[in-house]
Amino acid sequence: MARIQLEHITKRYEDVTAVDDVSMEIEDGEFVTFVGPSGCGKSTTMETVAGLTKPTEGKVYIGDREVTNLAPKDRGVAMVFQNIALFPHMDVFENISFGLRLRKYDDEEVRRRVEQAADIVQLEGMLDRMPDEMSGGQRQRVAIARAIVRNPDVFLMDEPLANLDAKLRVHMRTELQRLHRELGTTIIYVTHDQAEAMTMSNRIAVLNEGKLQQLAPPLECYNEPANLFVAGFIGSPSMNFVEGELTATGFESENVDVAFEPELVPSVERGDTLTLGVRPEDVHLVETADDVTEQTDELYATADVLEPMGDEVFVYLLLSEDADRSMEQEPATAPNQLLMSVTPDTDIHEGKEVAVVLDRSKIHLFETATGNALRHRLTERSDSDSGPTATEADS
Amino acid sequence: MTDDDPLNPTGIDAGADTVNDHDRTRYLRTEEIPETAPEADLDWQTRLNETIPTSKRALTYLVAIAVAVLWIVPFIGLFMASFRPLSEIIGGWWHVEGMTFTLENYYQAWDYSTAPMGRALRNTFIVTIPAVLIVMLLGVMAAYPFARFEFPLKTTLFFLILLVMAAPPELVAMGNYNALHEFGLFDTYMGLILIHIGWGLGWVVLFLRNYLLGIPEELEEAARIDGASRYQIFRTIILPLSTPALVSVAVIQFTWVWNAFFFPLVFMRSPELYLAPQVLPLMTGRVQVEWGMIAAGSIMTMAVPVILFLLLERYYKRGMVAAVAD
Repeated sequence: MARIQLEHITKRYEDVTAVDDVSMEIEDGEFVTFVGPSGCGKSTTMETVAGLTKPTEGKVYIGDREVTNLAPKDRGVAMVFQNIALFPHMDVFENISFGLRLRKYDDEEVRRRVEQAADIVQLEGMLDRMPDEMSGGQRQRVAIARAIVRNPDVFLMDEPLANLDAKLRVHMRTELQRLHRELGTTIIYVTHDQAEAMTMSNRIAVLNEGKLQQLAPPLECYNEPANLFVAGFIGSPSMNFVEGELTATGFESENVDVAFEPELVPSVERGDTLTLGVRPEDVHLVETADDVTEQTDELYATADVLEPMGDEVFVYLLLSEDADRSMEQEPATAPNQLLMSVTPDTDIHEGKEVAVVLDRSKIHLFETATGNALRHRLTERSDSDSGPTATEADS
Repeated sequence: MTDDDPLNPTGIDAGADTVNDHDRTRYLRTEEIPETAPEADLDWQTRLNETIPTSKRALTYLVAIAVAVLWIVPFIGLFMASFRPLSEIIGGWWHVEGMTFTLENYYQAWDYSTAPMGRALRNTFIVTIPAVLIVMLLGVMAAYPFARFEFPLKTTLFFLILLVMAAPPELVAMGNYNALHEFGLFDTYMGLILIHIGWGLGWVVLFLRNYLLGIPEELEEAARIDGASRYQIFRTIILPLSTPALVSVAVIQFTWVWNAFFFPLVFMRSPELYLAPQVLPLMTGRVQVEWGMIAAGSIMTMAVPVILFLLLERYYKRGMVAAVAD
């Protein structure tokens, strides 16, 4: 077991910078997920921890040792790969024991540890099977057993569930959490699936274009995203964004005006462009908004498209009649559209004209130019940018 | 690979099931979905085509059969001739009535006085086996870096290897002849084996490199993380996984070296060292051409690569498909 420290890790290939000055500390026994879109540098960052890639600049520490120039085998890490990467010419026992046999453990010790590892991932009685005789989920278990059998300090998992079908993926998600609880090993987990990141990890590291955007517990990323990218990436469907201006009375845009004291966002000047963000579940119909204590002024809109999901209904609202429906844009970012989620028993149909309000305690303000978050709530109760109450309110 | 957009998860992640009761009767529930996809049924078009050949298809079959017959007839003739006395062969091997079956031709060929086939076959084995085994070993060792490592002049070197393949053997015969003389390897098996190795290495490296490129790199990364050195990866992962390709190389190189006529002709001088393909033209007999004996000698010569191919056909096909696949 060990803590991991990355110091200013940069990885450049000939003309691309895959990882750009990433620093972070991962505590002993923590489950940290690297999440981001394809090509954001999450896998490369993990590979520098694994030792498969040498960073162009920066240092990697595992435990108290600097391991930047050590070979993978000397780092005490084990890795599970996206395509599972079992050796196809070896049976399950040989696959799991590969690393132990290389290290010349005696036969009895090898057998004991393989059986123990197989037991943890529930593979009893399958040790003599070949990988091509197993299902995807079983193969993934073998890959995990191969990793845990060496008793590593750190587990690295590179999209281990991406090749499994949706049902199995959800199942393996809980299995991995159980495994983490049982072994208590530090885990770094790479995924592009924000649902995996949200459900499993102690903390999420959101990466984009090689840069670390935010490293925080899942709910903090959700409730207090550090910038526009995190706000848009975490949460499904995505947060609504409205671009507007800071005026003497608050936020003003073509269709949405929200009044607040400009002093709430001291770092920007009046006339600067701001982006207001609000999640679909924080947009409420006036008639059902009784329990929202701090409401904005009413906005008038037409329900354009309904997406019933069973437990909730997503409603695409058109804020102005005359504005054309910009179908090319993502609905959530189109200037005249707003995505709202309501309960399925709500009386709403396509074409209905509705009045909605926003929950002021859930409104996020971003500086458009930099994308940085300015404020996560517009209520007067809390003056700080990141009050702990915001986290609790949504959990 | 999944093409899931992280912002719009599909499947279970996307939220609750929206199928209503009416739809539920038409779709399987998730727990009823079998692990493997059902075999796709052939559509009626394919089935029809398979049962009733169209005239175009029938014509294709006809041409294919004709070509196959043309191809096999000389071989059948040779085969028949090898088992019949000379008098019957001269009357035409295709007269089947009153045919006499004899192994006399084989005995004669085996012990033929000027160039006994038995000795020639043994000599051919002595040359072919090392030429094949060494090419396999060297080939895979050279192909691995070309498939995996980055090193200076990689492309240039690889191009040079391809260039060798483009040259006809006649082109280099003179140079090799002089070189073997200088090294004192002329008219020795060592010299001939070296020539075969050098000549075969070009295509073997190209072939094996293509095959090795198809082995997922993650397998090697997994082995590295588990603590395997480059050599251990090569021995425990790459070599076993290359077996089908190595078998293909063995079969093709064996056939090539075994049947080679030009190289032994140029580089072997002493009759007692002659190889089987060299010996065949010498079997013309004293008084008249002994067709039966030549036929028996030819059958014995060609039998060896054919048997090898039949034994290894399964692996050979797998290796060929994988090496040419991407």
